[in-house]
Amino acid sequence: MRRAIRSNVKIVVVDDDKLTRDLMVNALMYCVNRDVLSFENGFSALAYLDADEDSLDIIVSDVDMPEMSGLALLESIKKKWPSKICIIMSENPANEKSASDLGADAFLAKPFKVTDLFKIVQEYIVDAE
Amino acid sequence: MLRLGAGSSDMRKILKDDILLLRLKLLIIMCKAYLNDYPMGKYRKKAIIENARSVFDLLPQISSEYGERYGHIFNFQTYAESKEEKNLYFDVFQQRVHLLTVMAKALAEGHPMGCFREKALKDNISAICETITFNSDAGDIKFLKVA
Repeated sequence: MRRAIRSNVKIVVVDDDKLTRDLMVNALMYCVNRDVLSFENGFSALAYLDADEDSLDIIVSDVDMPEMSGLALLESIKKKWPSKICIIMSENPANEKSASDLGADAFLAKPFKVTDLFKIVQEYIVDAE
Repeated sequence: MLRLGAGSSDMRKILKDDILLLRLKLLIIMCKAYLNDYPMGKYRKKAIIENARSVFDLLPQISSEYGERYGHIFNFQTYAESKEEKNLYFDVFQQRVHLLTVMAKALAEGHPMGCFREKALKDNISAICETITFNSDAGDIKFLKVA
């Protein structure tokens, strides 16, 4: 079976920690060979999506961020666009159940391995043709 | 819901040394993919160059902030017990990582890669992998064959 990266997949990483955010962007950009967007808070990501609902397919967000948490962002996105893929990252085990209850597609527990990022790509971005 | 990452009892904040190790492992995987003729597009080249630069920038910061943790992070306890020897091995390790960042940047920029450069790259990757006890499985990166 031939496999391919989903064409024009649009990914965004939302995390207020620059080191983690830049790492995720780098790893995902390398995997999909496409540009990957990033924001340091949920409000900016939501505003971007509100302006054009086709601008993003996959949202990878941390939970603990100032002003708007990743869980609030997840809730807003799933309410308006249930088909958008939301991946929630956190260092707090208590956030796993909350993420699941709010409809997250995946939960990435910190700290993670490079191969965990590869699994996300394989699960949600590499299509069988 | 798909669950990935640390087990519940091991969850914690990602530290600078975690970022360095993640980026270093990513750089090794990027170089191995190149050596195996995986496709290299515009954004993959950009990602390699940015990752190499980040590893280069992070390494000296780690050495000053986490000096006492080298043994734990880089598995040096198998080589030497004394702090002096650990520091010496760390210096060599640091130079190897610096060399890898230069090699990775060069391959991403399309500089010629002869058989001796290829061998040097493979040897350097092998030495770094041994130090950080990292062995990426070929199956992990098979999906990178598509671009």
